[in-house]
Amino acid sequence: MSMKLRHLALPGLFWLFVAYLFLPLLVMAAMGFRDSNFVAFPIHSWTTKWYSEVLLDRDVMEALWLSARVAVFSTLISVAVGLPVAFAVARTSGIARGLLIALILLPAFLPVVVSAISLRIFIGRIGLETGTAAIAFGHAVGSVPFVVIMILTRLNTMGRNMADAARNLGADDVIILVRIVLPYLSPALLGAFMFCLLLSFEDFVRSFFLGGFEQTFPVLLFARLRFGFDPGLAAISTIVLIATTGFGLYAERFVRKRSLRSETSLTSGAKND
Amino acid sequence: MTSLLIHLRRFSVYRGLTDLYARSPLARLLIVSIVPLLWILGTTAAPLAQMVIVSFYESFPVAEGETARWTLANYASFFERPLYLTAFLRSFVFATVVTLLTLLVVFPIAYYIAKVAPRGRRTRLLLLVIAPFWVSEIIRSFAWIVMLANRGAVNSFLSFIGIPGTPVELLYNNVSLTIGVIYLTSLYMLLPLYAALEKIDDNVLEAAANLGAPGWRRFLRIVLPLSRDGVVAGCSLVFLLVIGLYAMPQLLGGPGNTLFATTIGQIFAKAGASWPQGSAFSIILTGAALAYVGLFVAIFQRRGRGGA
Repeated sequence: MSMKLRHLALPGLFWLFVAYLFLPLLVMAAMGFRDSNFVAFPIHSWTTKWYSEVLLDRDVMEALWLSARVAVFSTLISVAVGLPVAFAVARTSGIARGLLIALILLPAFLPVVVSAISLRIFIGRIGLETGTAAIAFGHAVGSVPFVVIMILTRLNTMGRNMADAARNLGADDVIILVRIVLPYLSPALLGAFMFCLLLSFEDFVRSFFLGGFEQTFPVLLFARLRFGFDPGLAAISTIVLIATTGFGLYAERFVRKRSLRSETSLTSGAKND
Repeated sequence: MTSLLIHLRRFSVYRGLTDLYARSPLARLLIVSIVPLLWILGTTAAPLAQMVIVSFYESFPVAEGETARWTLANYASFFERPLYLTAFLRSFVFATVVTLLTLLVVFPIAYYIAKVAPRGRRTRLLLLVIAPFWVSEIIRSFAWIVMLANRGAVNSFLSFIGIPGTPVELLYNNVSLTIGVIYLTSLYMLLPLYAALEKIDDNVLEAAANLGAPGWRRFLRIVLPLSRDGVVAGCSLVFLLVIGLYAMPQLLGGPGNTLFATTIGQIFAKAGASWPQGSAFSIILTGAALAYVGLFVAIFQRRGRGGA
């Protein structure tokens, strides 16, 4: 009985789950090829016109461009803030450390709507208008907790030996930071960078409340879905889906290879130099 | 780069600064803590404090030249209209049910990847189930609309195989919303569960099996207790995610089943006049959700210590 469960039921459930994850996305991709103005099955005649038309849609292209800009801005802020915050957490201990971590991670635990709304009220107070800068700021607020965790995880695996050796050889703190700590952290930094880009690109709630009249791609899609569906929406969704998933898979692979390589090069680095 | 830094050491200002940093604990503390403190202040403390203050205002923004009038009416309005209280309770029940369902769905998947699948394939299987999560909430909602609509894929399939009574109303109710939301939450359950399950030593399970413990018993006495951290973390994350959902309930849920986060969002999406009420509701939701999750975590941790 137990053998059967292990070798039939569990793999079965797993592949069923994979189907649950992928089938809707495949069905949506197919819908983008339907030669009709309505989203409906079955598909009798096929066309590629939606896929080509949607790339000429000005609003869609503008929304994608805004999403891309916001993603880059917010990622730069997140990593620039996350790095020193991770250093600070690594250097504190006891109650101060617990408190610091709790406060830094708090935005990740607040209901997203509440976090977005509190920022919406706050930016008005400090004289920042809704729009690109506000969205980027909002996304950074959401991303920093993840950046801190990713960098801290890597930082915790780093022994003191290398920094101490460098110090004994006469390096000051700046040289240790630039030549030893940052190279060691580079896989985590790259990982955080790519993760933040995706996180920002996908975000709806913060963009919706902080964007004002500026619409990122998810906000535009949400607005259009409320009016009604046409296969063009399926087409553009599919294009974006393939782009982000491809980027995500590439990022994951890239970071994994890189962290393996840096581990081997740091331990056997002397030989290679 | 290094040579440039070494070059820099010729300047006494640079030397003075790095020496000060190396010697003075106070300077170190100041430099290290300034970014975290400013960030916490500017992104968490000040916005939340502002929200608490606004929740006691009679109106916001306060008109030029007038002082703010304080009131408890915003909080009182939560209890006065059954509409709000029902949405609030519905949110908590819905989030709890979805969290448990997610746990039920994801546990076997995480167990399969972490313990049963061949070691060399684990990363690839994990990537396979993570990949769809790099797609935004809105696109995934749309994908489920295409699946479940009256002329969607499922209904088309049902009528194709000759089921009478099609189209079946599948969309815009709690079932369609639950299907969509689990699609969204399973990753947040999967990762903590996988991390916890992966750490369980295979030898322990093997020893129990050799001593004659049947599968269900190994599961109850070994796998479940040892993966408790993952279960607690996953459930907390998923609950907090679901309680804050704004977009998906509007796209996949029924019009009569408004959730509290959507109520709050709509107060803010409409006009500035009711912001104090929206702030009060936000604080009620946040406080209740964090307390609920905190209680859940506390109970499970205490039981864990008592049992061990």
